[in-house]
Amino acid sequence: MTTLASGGLTSGVSAPQGGLKRIGSARWRKRNLTFDKITFFLVFLIIPVAFYIAFVVSPFVQAVYFSLTDWTGFTPAMNFIGLSNYGKLFTDDTFLQAMSNNILMAIVVPIVTLGLAMFFATLVTVGGSTRGNIKGLRNSSFYRVISFFPYVIPAIVIGLIWSQIYDPSAGLLNGILTRLGLEQFTSFAWLGDPRTARWCVMFVIIWGLVGFYMVLFIAAIKGVPADVFEAARIDGAGRLRTAISITIPLIRENVQTAFIYIGILALDAFVYMAALEPGGGPNNTTLVMAQQLFTTAFTKGQFGYACAMGVVLAVITLAYAGLVFAVNRIFGGKSEVGE
Amino acid sequence: MEINTRPLARRDFLRGSLAAAALAATGSLAACATSGTSSSTQSSSAPAGQVSDTNPFGVESGSTVDAVIFNGGYGIDYAEFAGQQVQAKQSGVTVKVTPVTKVAQTLQPRFVAGNPPDVIDNSGAGAIGINTIRDQLAELNDVIEAKNYEGKVIKDTLYEGVTEPGTFDGKFIVLNYALTVYAIWYSASLFEQNGWTVPKTYEEMLALGEEAKGKNKYLFGWGKEAATYYQTMAICSAIKEGGDDVRLALENLKPDCWSLPPVQDVFNGLKKIIDAGYIKPGGAGTVFTASQAQWSDGEEFLLQPSGGWIENEMKKQTKSGFKMTGAPEPVVSSNSKMPWEALHSTAGEPYVVPSQGKNVAGGKEFMRAMLSQEAAVNFAKTKLASTIVKGTVPSDGFGSTALQSQIQMLEAAGSNVFSWNFVDLYGMNTDQLVVWNSFLSGDSDVAKLTKGLQDITDKVAKDDSIKKVQVS
Repeated sequence: MTTLASGGLTSGVSAPQGGLKRIGSARWRKRNLTFDKITFFLVFLIIPVAFYIAFVVSPFVQAVYFSLTDWTGFTPAMNFIGLSNYGKLFTDDTFLQAMSNNILMAIVVPIVTLGLAMFFATLVTVGGSTRGNIKGLRNSSFYRVISFFPYVIPAIVIGLIWSQIYDPSAGLLNGILTRLGLEQFTSFAWLGDPRTARWCVMFVIIWGLVGFYMVLFIAAIKGVPADVFEAARIDGAGRLRTAISITIPLIRENVQTAFIYIGILALDAFVYMAALEPGGGPNNTTLVMAQQLFTTAFTKGQFGYACAMGVVLAVITLAYAGLVFAVNRIFGGKSEVGE
Repeated sequence: MEINTRPLARRDFLRGSLAAAALAATGSLAACATSGTSSSTQSSSAPAGQVSDTNPFGVESGSTVDAVIFNGGYGIDYAEFAGQQVQAKQSGVTVKVTPVTKVAQTLQPRFVAGNPPDVIDNSGAGAIGINTIRDQLAELNDVIEAKNYEGKVIKDTLYEGVTEPGTFDGKFIVLNYALTVYAIWYSASLFEQNGWTVPKTYEEMLALGEEAKGKNKYLFGWGKEAATYYQTMAICSAIKEGGDDVRLALENLKPDCWSLPPVQDVFNGLKKIIDAGYIKPGGAGTVFTASQAQWSDGEEFLLQPSGGWIENEMKKQTKSGFKMTGAPEPVVSSNSKMPWEALHSTAGEPYVVPSQGKNVAGGKEFMRAMLSQEAAVNFAKTKLASTIVKGTVPSDGFGSTALQSQIQMLEAAGSNVFSWNFVDLYGMNTDQLVVWNSFLSGDSDVAKLTKGLQDITDKVAKDDSIKKVQVS
């Protein structure tokens, strides 16, 4: 034991000096592949990679494979049918509609949520009085706590609360509107009218997430030295100018991350929909791909087809992330922030 | 140079190992979710225990029966009761009753692994589509041909036609336990107070709507998840009007089946009621239980098409003195092929015995217990609903007006009892809800409704990957 440990120590010291240059050469292997190094590889590299492969990569690969079969999901048997599930997918009106609903949500929800979150974060951190130190509005910590509340509630509960608020006969919203004398909203089905349903569910998602992203942006803005804002103010920049020219460029990486997170959520949205519009909404205007996938798999017993939907959803999500990176790069993100 | 090559080499190593592993995964791991296939045994077909009159399926003493029961409106206590009956009759046999709420999600891995339970109550919104697993289910003819615990042949104790909904391509594989009567439900006390009578045609319904309006009430109301209750009512009326031709056209997904004259007449009748404003607006955005409470507690509308489970479902939200009573769905004209009294009745709570289960005989024995007198009476008494076993409900319906009326309707219908399967069989309900919600909201017309339903039907009919059941 002692000999092993000491041998490990000496080789550990010598390794960075020159051995790694010729990785894979016989000499390197002989000299450096000690017990310590092997256990190090094992614990920090091979085991994590094995876990990653077993629990992340393999289900994904499996899903891709299943998407090429006619598996029903309830038997061990399946036939390989090539790409015909994908062919069916792109002629399936319902799925295509779900896809376009998702894409619309992935455009609207991030822009509105992050726009609002940025607005509030600016007010709370640097939007206060223009005299004295840079500070937020009065009582800003109170607003910060309040606006974080919705995020503390689980998404499914948010969905259930809002489905009650939107209730045509007994809901709070119509109660207030009719009390105000707007008689046309008597029994108006917010979640049941194709004109309003999708905006109503998007509003709920935005309502639930603004607080979280606001806190995220506040943390980012707090990381920017106050003298930068002071300098901008001395140069005569107003609040809007400061936000656009100083705040956003300096917290660019946070905004990008936020965009990706919320975009993935908007492309999923399953939980909110399960509470608000379990049936896909009026004329399927709120149907999302995840819902369609779920029904196809468990109600219709077409797991192979459902896996194809899952693959398409994953590809769209990756494409979305790629798009966010690309946009950030086009607007000069790379030149300012290192790796 | 040295600085550059070092991290690259390490990353290449990482990438290489990842790629290699991913390749390996495609080969070996892809089979992971579906492994254990070859090991699934056929042990089930041969009974392990001694077959006798008291043990017709040969349940082995000392074996365990794994019963997975849907924990919904009826709970699982009735199944536990039946389990105790099995344990009392078959010494040494243990029955393990497990509640589930999402049957398909919970049991899917067990089916794939070839290790399904011995008996399943495949019910609820998350039920397994029967079409998906019907090759893996044991035939249940021997269950109903066996004698019950009182020594009578089970088949002779059942209501007429209750095995039909569980028979697919001539094979009886699903035993639906609870008798479900579909009807238009109303408060007999409210009707009495106002001197109203139950409408027997769509014309009479329209007239009743006018009177209801005078009392500031609506005729109908609906909830977004239950818009297709009106489809059930419409199909029922159309079948009464046009007879078996209509039923078979729909069941066999025929082209233009929704355009048949009887179906269109019913749709037009409904459209008149919708256009007259006799349906409570806003249903497309209302949760169905909230809508039903507007009927049973708020008395905001008069008629609620639904199945017999509605009494149990609304137990806590029914106004006192609300004598819930059912009436058959209306017909279109006086010369309909079936009388008004004809009834849409089927059996619900589909019980199945997977043929790959470890203890198929035990699963069947469990069903035999459920179909015997004691368990059947226990169900009727505690759930206020009849099972498919005749004569378990006394004429006072255990004090329930709804149950009384169910039995009366069944007696009045005689042999004019019918049902259909295609909606659930092909999982069409979700798609149809969309069309019906917009029709009931008044946003579409009969032509759009017909086209919408026909498109859904045609999509299934044309999809070769879906196995069809031929109905005759």
